[in-house]
Amino acid sequence: MKRYLFKRLLTGLLTIVIAFVINFLIINLAPGDPIKTLMGKESDDPVLRAALEEKYGLNKPLHIQFFSYLKTAMRGDLGISIIYNRPVADMIAEKLPATILLVLTSGVLSLIIGTAMGIVAARKEGTFIDVLFSGFSYILNSMPSFWLGLMLIIIFSTVLNILPTYGMTDARASYTGMAYVLDVIKHMILPVGTLVLIEIPMYYRIAKSSVLQVTNEDYILTLRATGMSEKKIFNKYIFRNAILPTVTIFGISLAYLITGVSLIETVFAWPGTGRLVLTAINQRDYPTLIGIYLIMSVSIAVVMIVVDIVYAILDPRIRY
Amino acid sequence: MDNVILDVRNFNVTYVNKYKKVYAVKDANFSINRGDSLGIVGESGSGKSTMAMALLRLLPEKSTEISGSAYFLGKDLVKLSEEELKKLRWKELSVVFQKSMNSLSPVHRIRTQVEDIYRVHNPKATREEIAERFIHLLKLVNLSDRVYNLYPHELSGGMLQRVSIAISLINNPKLLIMDEATTALDVVTQGQILDEVVKMEKEMDMTRIMITHDMSVVATSCNKVAVMYAGEIMELGYVKDVLKKPMHPYTKGLMASFPSLKGKKEKLQSIGGFLPDLSKKYEGCIFAPRCSSAMDICQKKPPVIEMENGRTVRCHLYGGER
Repeated sequence: MKRYLFKRLLTGLLTIVIAFVINFLIINLAPGDPIKTLMGKESDDPVLRAALEEKYGLNKPLHIQFFSYLKTAMRGDLGISIIYNRPVADMIAEKLPATILLVLTSGVLSLIIGTAMGIVAARKEGTFIDVLFSGFSYILNSMPSFWLGLMLIIIFSTVLNILPTYGMTDARASYTGMAYVLDVIKHMILPVGTLVLIEIPMYYRIAKSSVLQVTNEDYILTLRATGMSEKKIFNKYIFRNAILPTVTIFGISLAYLITGVSLIETVFAWPGTGRLVLTAINQRDYPTLIGIYLIMSVSIAVVMIVVDIVYAILDPRIRY
Repeated sequence: MDNVILDVRNFNVTYVNKYKKVYAVKDANFSINRGDSLGIVGESGSGKSTMAMALLRLLPEKSTEISGSAYFLGKDLVKLSEEELKKLRWKELSVVFQKSMNSLSPVHRIRTQVEDIYRVHNPKATREEIAERFIHLLKLVNLSDRVYNLYPHELSGGMLQRVSIAISLINNPKLLIMDEATTALDVVTQGQILDEVVKMEKEMDMTRIMITHDMSVVATSCNKVAVMYAGEIMELGYVKDVLKKPMHPYTKGLMASFPSLKGKKEKLQSIGGFLPDLSKKYEGCIFAPRCSSAMDICQKKPPVIEMENGRTVRCHLYGGER
């Protein structure tokens, strides 16, 4: 296990480095640059441009830029945002907790709900419940997340007027203690609900097919032949075997959420990193963008390592 | 007749779905004595496994119809309630399946699974008691006791097969059904396991049904043999009679399709044609379209003709109305 852990950490680190290099290159290869944003649309003064490029080090060759970034990043300094003129690390630290809260809550909730639905559908295959759940999952699966978010806003905020449409807290009130927590939860319902609804089909499909597959395995037939009760066979043998793919999907889904949450954060004006990414992309704010991507790849790598370790604990066959 | 452990009469298994019925086992009759061993042979799709699964009541109830009777220790397996059947399962009637590689859960230790299986009938058994019993069985199948604490993936196919056999013996069952239990193994391992099984059988006073498509398995390990084709038992009798002097044209064909180690190198004969569509009912002999000795009368259903030494043949060649 120790060896496996060490190896896994090493490959995780390697993944981060490769992701970082690719991000750095792609951002710099993309057309447009931050200087243009800074100078404004109208002005096209070569002297000003040269001065700004000099200031941010953008006139140096790409590999020099890369290594100087790497050197400072090693010290935990992610540079200064070109647009906001603030340390990138501070900006990310401000926004990250809100995103993590959103991602983890919806990740765990969709895992539980989607898997439970999949198991129920598989146990009652071909019945009304199965058809209902499958139809529900099919519809959700073909829905764009931002559109679903907007529809939920229309239903629950505009028409029913029971849930807030934007932000993480009520801007007009300053709650403390329990009231603050409740206020945040109330604000979380719609964005989390949207993400959960979008994520459910993935867990549903995997859980259902996995349970069905394991139910048809020979060892389940053997256990039936032994006269063991269906309940015990399911709870101990089918469940443990069928849950394995779900664990993998949880890792992939969290990674997808971390990166894909930007749209939902924009729709619900959630104060997370998502909006920071979108504005940074639009304004070609290189340091901010690279900083966020770095944090994202680190968190995805961490999630994947955790998932792999959990998987190794659950499945004795995994020992590299 | 007290000696008969399993008596199967007019046994039919039909798979049913919305569109059609498949008559997988038709009018099977056989009985097996205590301590005896019966091999059921036939090509793929002949209904051997279906019959075993139906006897064990492991086929999905929604999509199968079973009729006839199968008296096991005086109880009709066909009509027994699931609760009553549970009392017999594994305790008196156990099974080893075809793909033993998959017959154990991959994420649980063999120990855990054995304990759970043993506790179905002995809920109060202690770990030590079970371990002692199972390690004894592991010795019988020639495995070291350290296997008990391993995971299935840590064993080879042959070892897993032995573990499966050991598990099937854990409650000292009266009847053991081995459904292609050695098919996936190489001949050397298969030979070893068959020897062990035959030896254990004597020690444990066990009766065995061996389902296989391998004539040599039947020849070396069984006392009686039933030849199945398209869901019907074509010929039944002692191995030494049937294999030496096959009577039914299908048995003859089956025998000719196996190579012999002795004698001249001959071209293997295959039986022309294919298995009939089992979703249709047939008027005459089901083998007639592929049979080289088919006659006019084969348009009629052949009777089961009883020969000497408890042998039966379902063929017009051996009597009945001509």
